[in-house]
Amino acid sequence: MKRSLALIATAVLLAGCGSGGDKGGSSAPQQGGSPAKVTLEWWHLSTAEPLKSLWAQRAKEYMAKHPNVTIKATVLENDAYKAKLTTITQSGKAPDIFATWGGGVLKQQIEAGLVKDISADVAGVLPTFTPAALSAYQFDGKTYGLPTDIGMVGFWYNKKLFAKAGITQPPATWSAYLEDVKKLKAAGITPIALAGKEKWPGHYYWAYLAMRIAGLDALKQAATDHDFTKPDFIAAGQQVKALADLQPFQKGFLGAAYSTPDGQSATVSNGKAAMELMGQWAPAVQKDNGKGLGADLGFFPFPAVEGGKGSINDAFGGGGGLAVGADAPAEAVDFVRFMTEMGNHSKAVEAGGVLPVLKGEESAVKDPNLKQVATLLASAGGYQLYLDQAYPPAVGQQVNDSVAELIAGTKTPEEVGKAITEVAKSEG
Amino acid sequence: MMRRKKSTPRRNTLPLHVVAWIVGAFVIVPVIYAVIGGFKPTNELSQNPLGLPRTWMTANYTDVLGSHSFWLQLWNSTFIAVLTTVLTVGVSALAGFVFARFAFRGRELFFTLFTAGLMFPFAVAILPIFVLLRSFGLLGNPFGVILTQAAFGLPLTIIILRGFFRSIPGEVEEAAIIDGCSPFGFFWRILLPMARPAIATVSVLALVGSWNQFMLPLVVFNEESSWTLPLGIQQFQGQYASDTARILAYLVLAMLPALGFYAVAERHLVGGLTAGATKG
Amino acid sequence: MTTLITGPEAIKLPAPAPAARGRGRWVTIALFLLPALVLFLLLVVAPILVAFYASAFRWNGFGGLPTNFIGLDNFTRLFKTEIFAQDLWHLLVLVLFSVVVQLPFSLAIAMLLNQRIRGRALYRVVFFAPYVLSEVITGVLFSLILSPGSGLANHILSVFGIESEWLADPATVMPSLFLVMTWKYFGFHMMIYLAGRQNIPNELIEAAQIDGATSWKTFRHITLPLLGPTIRISVFLSVIYTIQLFDLVWILTQGGPSHSSETMAVTMMDWGFKRSQVGYASAISVVMFLLSLVFALVYQRLVMRRDLAGATTSMGGRR
Repeated sequence: MKRSLALIATAVLLAGCGSGGDKGGSSAPQQGGSPAKVTLEWWHLSTAEPLKSLWAQRAKEYMAKHPNVTIKATVLENDAYKAKLTTITQSGKAPDIFATWGGGVLKQQIEAGLVKDISADVAGVLPTFTPAALSAYQFDGKTYGLPTDIGMVGFWYNKKLFAKAGITQPPATWSAYLEDVKKLKAAGITPIALAGKEKWPGHYYWAYLAMRIAGLDALKQAATDHDFTKPDFIAAGQQVKALADLQPFQKGFLGAAYSTPDGQSATVSNGKAAMELMGQWAPAVQKDNGKGLGADLGFFPFPAVEGGKGSINDAFGGGGGLAVGADAPAEAVDFVRFMTEMGNHSKAVEAGGVLPVLKGEESAVKDPNLKQVATLLASAGGYQLYLDQAYPPAVGQQVNDSVAELIAGTKTPEEVGKAITEVAKSEG
Repeated sequence: MMRRKKSTPRRNTLPLHVVAWIVGAFVIVPVIYAVIGGFKPTNELSQNPLGLPRTWMTANYTDVLGSHSFWLQLWNSTFIAVLTTVLTVGVSALAGFVFARFAFRGRELFFTLFTAGLMFPFAVAILPIFVLLRSFGLLGNPFGVILTQAAFGLPLTIIILRGFFRSIPGEVEEAAIIDGCSPFGFFWRILLPMARPAIATVSVLALVGSWNQFMLPLVVFNEESSWTLPLGIQQFQGQYASDTARILAYLVLAMLPALGFYAVAERHLVGGLTAGATKG
Repeated sequence: MTTLITGPEAIKLPAPAPAARGRGRWVTIALFLLPALVLFLLLVVAPILVAFYASAFRWNGFGGLPTNFIGLDNFTRLFKTEIFAQDLWHLLVLVLFSVVVQLPFSLAIAMLLNQRIRGRALYRVVFFAPYVLSEVITGVLFSLILSPGSGLANHILSVFGIESEWLADPATVMPSLFLVMTWKYFGFHMMIYLAGRQNIPNELIEAAQIDGATSWKTFRHITLPLLGPTIRISVFLSVIYTIQLFDLVWILTQGGPSHSSETMAVTMMDWGFKRSQVGYASAISVVMFLLSLVFALVYQRLVMRRDLAGATTSMGGRR
């Protein structure tokens, strides 16, 4: 169905030879009579089950309810999605509906006039969302998107391998963590899987350490004063280095991707590494890419750093939401509301694809690990969005990039601080 | 295949064959791996990458052949390549004709300008092309790619065609004019038919260049419905990252048009590509 | 290079009889030239000017024209970064690899296939075939083959007890990349050399052989010097290609691991389309442009001047 529509769309595009401009989505519903035909472009990045099928199912249901609406979904894998979305927004338009993480990246798109202010349209449903889930999509009191997921990054570990190395309890402090890494190594187990080719998984380590050592406020301040050379940030870099110096990662991790047969997720999933630092989607992707650990999979939050300004209760992560393009028809907003209705959204929660974003949805979480994540999240003292989304794209990418170099051992913590600062200033 | 001239003493060519076979294996094993790999399930592929499959599984290939997106990409690639070729060769032939058969002030200047275009790496211009196409409203439009490819194809095509047009004796032209041909009439009815080999050469160049182009469609096309094969392959690899055998099947099927074209037009292709290079 | 060919050539060849005389002449010239000129100015010349212009601004590429003029700051920032130095280093490494390994290899194969051996036509067809495949197909194919865990390369080499991480290891990524480039391009250079070799009269070689010269001596003192122009062109093409190397790297490594295979074009795309610093990325474009230009001019002046005529005739046999 979707494919053949794409085919027709192309035929029209080719025959028209000049229709490139807008996507036929701008027609407003007509007054009186039957509503006008509308096509909605929907971009998202849920290429893994269960979301892949669930989202397609929702779109089908919506189209059945609204026969005048056609939803054309473009589903790209993470890296390709980020790249393509940047390209299309730079081309001066945005898809009618698109997945976003909020933060500085969304803000840049808002400032370019590409995202619709949906405050008025969603005012009625706003109170049903948990404020934490909503915050990444609100700027200056205006709402630009609704959340579909919220979660946090933490360690997903293999209980069996931990036990084999003689670790009885997940570490609560950073020094205990480093000790456990050594124990795993000593037991001949690869402690950590990391996708070094894709740089975002590596940045979690630096971000969490910066949160634990420098504190949340320091990261927020750095967004405005563009200074990442403060001693606390350097200290965070030094701890990343301390970890990397233990050589805890799987062989060939520098070239490993996240969700390929040799990737980070599969390595953990197949029991070839003891843990990974990843967001709430980790169990789903593990199942998708490997055997899966089943009951052996456990979760523990990123440990506290002794003497640091941050607490173990501060959570780092993000979710995902849907934003609406500036020129999108009214149906686009309606579809976003539809997607986030309790009855619809909780199905995705039940399937373990996403975590609750609506008040009172917690009971729908079935998986014990995800339940733990949801509980930790609910009791979190502070919250920090992924740095590569919270900061403007250039700065976020530089964080990813520099941390990758730190882990690869080609840069010192000081050089990392300087490089990020330089880019942050250039955005100034 | 081989012509043996005179009677040169027969040398032992075995070592030469051995070298050629080793090089041949280096070239061909990756392709064979892809073809056979496409017939295996992925989990068999990692244990037995090169051997014959235990059972020949055709699902990978038939799945790709049954998907609309593959055919759509094939069509998009073809459409763009054909129009690029027609445009490049048509426009260049006109210009090459003027450069070859007219003496006028500023001719060498203009010609030098075009030939200088040979030295501009395409990558240099990609960002501003994106910005320009955006302001023309040509982003997402196949013509954004076609026009740009044609523009970058001009220098080489003009140079080759001009060289060929020059080699046609002036008497032919004079005779035509005496017969009452207009300049365009001479160009259209006499010059172009005579230049068929050269036209074939430059057409092949433009066609292959467009077919393999990746960077430009990458930044111009956002919607899946306008993707060309190279974009589709890249996306397919991302989407089915865990299913290596399926990617191999897609690769093999995407290779076929180019290899088929090569098989049919080998002489022109090799001649064109190497001539293009030495001319460039 | 043809820029400079046109000069002498224009003098040598007698101008053909003008196609038309009189008033209509200029109209014809203008009408015939106009489409090419418009297309070329609009989509080749203008973009390069725009790149120069944009490189002087801090600009995220969104909407309208850039406004935040910062002079040469993008360039000073670029020259200070280590990545740029690495890009240059990688360029140098790849050019050296090409000149020292790939081109001699191609030349050797060309000489081999110039012998009268059975099936040489087939060998030629096979060796050239990878050049016809797109960079994307080549890249994806080899990223699977060189995958450290389940790839074909390690599977074959494990017989000899060798294992490599290929593209995943900063130490081996450049040789691996070069291996893929060789797979794809050696056949092309081989064909150029074959074409060049066919322009050398066999009588010259046979005469030398009758005089008792060994094969190596014949090659060293006759074939090689006469192939000079062809070789110089193939080096030129190799360098210009390497300056703008993008597709293969983008598919195979995205420039990684940790920038150890990054090229200028990859850096440029990264900043332009992933990080939205279009001004800065334009500065990288400008540097690439100047690098190509300077190289082309210097190379033509210093290396290719003496054999420009040879360059134009190297394909003469084809027509």
